[in-house]
Amino acid sequence: MLLIDGVSYRYRDAASAALQNISLNIPAAAVYGLLGPNGAGKTTLISLLAGLLTAGVGRISLNGQLLPAVRAADPRAIALVPQDYAFYPMLSVAENLRFFAGALGLNGAELKAQTNAAIAFGRLDQVVGKRAERLSGGLRRRLNLAIGLLGKPRLLLLDEPTVGVDPQSRHFLLDAIAALPATGTTVIYTSHYMEEVEAICQKIAIVDQGRLLAEGTLDSILQCPEPVLELHLAQPLPDAIAARYPAVATGGLKYRLKLPSTAALPLLLDELAATGCEVCDLNLGQHNLEQVFMRLTKRSLRD
Amino acid sequence: MSPRLLALWLKESIALLRDRHGLLALFIMPTIFILVMTMALRDAFTPGAAIDVSYVVVDLDRSVQSKALIKRLDKAASFRRQDNNSDPEAARHGILAGHQALALMLPPGFGERLLTPAGADGKPTEPLQLFIDPTLSPALQLAFRNQVMAALGALRADELTQRAGKLFGLPTTPGGSAEKDWPDEIRSTAVRSDRSVRLPSSVQQNVPAWLIFAMFFVVIPVSSIFIIERQQGTLQRLRAMGLPFRLILAGKLLPFFVVNQIQAVMMVLVGIFLVPLFGSEALEMPASLPLLVNWWAVSAAVSLAAVAWALLIASIAQTSEQATIVGGVGNVLMGAIGGIMVPKFVMPATMQKLAALSPMAWGLEGFHVVMLRHGSFADILPSLVQLLVFAALSLALAIWLNHRALAARS
Repeated sequence: MLLIDGVSYRYRDAASAALQNISLNIPAAAVYGLLGPNGAGKTTLISLLAGLLTAGVGRISLNGQLLPAVRAADPRAIALVPQDYAFYPMLSVAENLRFFAGALGLNGAELKAQTNAAIAFGRLDQVVGKRAERLSGGLRRRLNLAIGLLGKPRLLLLDEPTVGVDPQSRHFLLDAIAALPATGTTVIYTSHYMEEVEAICQKIAIVDQGRLLAEGTLDSILQCPEPVLELHLAQPLPDAIAARYPAVATGGLKYRLKLPSTAALPLLLDELAATGCEVCDLNLGQHNLEQVFMRLTKRSLRD
Repeated sequence: MSPRLLALWLKESIALLRDRHGLLALFIMPTIFILVMTMALRDAFTPGAAIDVSYVVVDLDRSVQSKALIKRLDKAASFRRQDNNSDPEAARHGILAGHQALALMLPPGFGERLLTPAGADGKPTEPLQLFIDPTLSPALQLAFRNQVMAALGALRADELTQRAGKLFGLPTTPGGSAEKDWPDEIRSTAVRSDRSVRLPSSVQQNVPAWLIFAMFFVVIPVSSIFIIERQQGTLQRLRAMGLPFRLILAGKLLPFFVVNQIQAVMMVLVGIFLVPLFGSEALEMPASLPLLVNWWAVSAAVSLAAVAWALLIASIAQTSEQATIVGGVGNVLMGAIGGIMVPKFVMPATMQKLAALSPMAWGLEGFHVVMLRHGSFADILPSLVQLLVFAALSLALAIWLNHRALAARS
């Protein structure tokens, strides 16, 4: 388990802190989603975990051991997959994998085995001899990820690993990442794509402007505390009903209504039926992640 | 051997082998420079070599003395004499038509009045006339004039000795002054520490000069790979893998050091085998093992300075374009003031002092000490120390810049 306890970080000469008193509890062998708009502090947090930055305040421990000690005992315990294609474009796929395996200190049979495992993981066997600069965006992402797995890390840090890939490759990458916890790897996953986080993360944290806005399981985050009803109707909502349940039109024939309690739902449906207003779709008490994100950050994605 | 360092070396070598522009700058450019500059500067390094400027003598006197003067001019052999012409107008036309650049006219009565100052006997003495192509460089005009004056002076002295000898019963050689061969030539000899041999040839100056220049061009491939690593987050990834920056630098030093040594062997082979095919003389390398070791020590020190300098430029530059401009222009400047492009000895004194600031000049000095003066290790030590201090400072600065960049981010 990775424990981040009261971590704050301020860049030199920065007006405000990039991270303020962040505490997270990241379970072992799970995919943990880190969400936030640009400038939220996600990359700073990832850099702290990767050892590229050192936290001024707070402590970070993996299974009870402080991160520098973890790294000293096993330099391959934590791996970073940066957002950029962090490999050598002029080298082939196999040469890149061999180089990074060597840079991790692997050699001999272990190097060969890990390189082969990474090729198999990224399904790169058809392109091992191809230079990285000639790969498609999807294959580059797969190679970027495969390099991260060469050292069999206990903690894998993925910074926007699906940016700029086609739907097929994204699907493949998400499946591959979702399968990692089964091999004992804890994954921290940052992304702007809400549906990706919803699809593969068991637990998420939402950060903005260096502060933690929400943390918990996906279900608990998506759970709406207020009985807000979302309706999609076949006809416009009658004014009388709209006035009684403070309704907001959200576009088309979609409305958001505030109910006094969930018990008021059957009565509302009866009223709609009586006015001949047909209900196409309704949703009560459960938001999608994007809605939660928008509500918590009080703004749209700054991308 | 650390697998990490081995992986870094292998990666750097493969990346370099696939960098066509870098290889072109490292191997083809200096080969071309050595060939072209050796041809172009062939005569600049050989004192008394023929100057490709021709002249005619219009001998209107046709005396023993005028023939003796022509013989003396021929002996100097610096300017090419074309067949004599007896018509001053034809000589003028020859200059206009570009057949020759100079025409020396010996007036009638030249021999007769050789020892008679103008007006001494009441009769005027007609002067020698020189027709000149105005496009000929003033230095060459002056050189030819001086050569004629010298020949004339010698001829007068001969004539005087001959006549005085007869008068005072001194021993004189039979025949006219034209047949005499005085030991009055100057032969240039280069002074080396072990034996005295002739001056260095153009190839001996150019091979080390352009080798140094080429070695410093590792800045192009070093920075192109380094900037890709920095821009694409690869350096960040390597740091996250726990690779210290000094190991990453060490991973670059050795492959490019080896590349520099391959350049050295290649340029020496070009000097020995290729240059003679183009009509110049072959490069002479020191024959003894200690001298060859000294030569290699200079080559190694130049390489360390060049790679360290390249790493510094790569650390400063933000883009490959910047690295190419800063590195390329920096090298050209170092080469220009360091006696690579223009040999130091043709520079004015102030420029020669400025040359002492260029690391390329330190390297060239080291090579010249070994190749031309056959100096000992103690003789090349000043050059080696300068180069190694430069290398150490550049590396230290590169590491400091990297730490500062990290600190700015953290």
